[in-house]
Amino acid sequence: MQEPEIKDENEISEENSKVYELGYLLIPTIKEEDAPVNYGNLKELLVSFNGEIISGEMPKMTSLAYSMAKVTSNIKNKFNTAYFGWIKFTMNSQKVLELKKHLDLDPNIIRFLILKTIKENTIATKRFARGEMYKRPAMKENAKNETAIPINKEEIDKEIDALVIS
Amino acid sequence: MKQDYFSANNIKYIDYKDVEILKKFLNPNGKIMSHKRTGITAKNQRQLASAIKHARFLGLLPFIVK
Repeated sequence: MQEPEIKDENEISEENSKVYELGYLLIPTIKEEDAPVNYGNLKELLVSFNGEIISGEMPKMTSLAYSMAKVTSNIKNKFNTAYFGWIKFTMNSQKVLELKKHLDLDPNIIRFLILKTIKENTIATKRFARGEMYKRPAMKENAKNETAIPINKEEIDKEIDALVIS
Repeated sequence: MKQDYFSANNIKYIDYKDVEILKKFLNPNGKIMSHKRTGITAKNQRQLASAIKHARFLGLLPFIVK
């Protein structure tokens, strides 16, 4: 059983590598200067697992949508903020399992998520998507206001007249 | 939204990190909107749902807004 497994690993490392993304939350007790150090360590870890880094983002301090708990040495710590960062990389699909086991033991990581993804940048589309969404309603609102104002004046005049007469 | 938002904006892969986009498809309680309300294709709706769930897991989006 052992021999074929070893052969497989060598073959797979070249052929069977897939694109993955690792998103993670680092504990907020790390100093801001040390966050890039952690990022560097993670990169080294990925390279040591024969991973090839495509892109990534430095861990940034973010407030969490809900409080998370992590048990370290039998003490339950609650966190409302964390450093969120991500790295995109290619790796052999079997090595990723080892990576996951390794990250499970990391005391600095609250949570992490490994996903299959695509090589292309997926975030850059955000800007123009926003712009289009905001322009359309603004145009319509202006058009409505311009036409609506004169009608209102006439109506008000009529109402006032009606009140004065009564 | 009558037209598919993601094909209109040429988004082929719905990323869980694009929180601003994902927020458009949550109701005030933080629940995922239905097919009927979003008007996006079935394929994109499935991708959207998993993207929102991934974002929730990493604390980028809330599970519930009280």
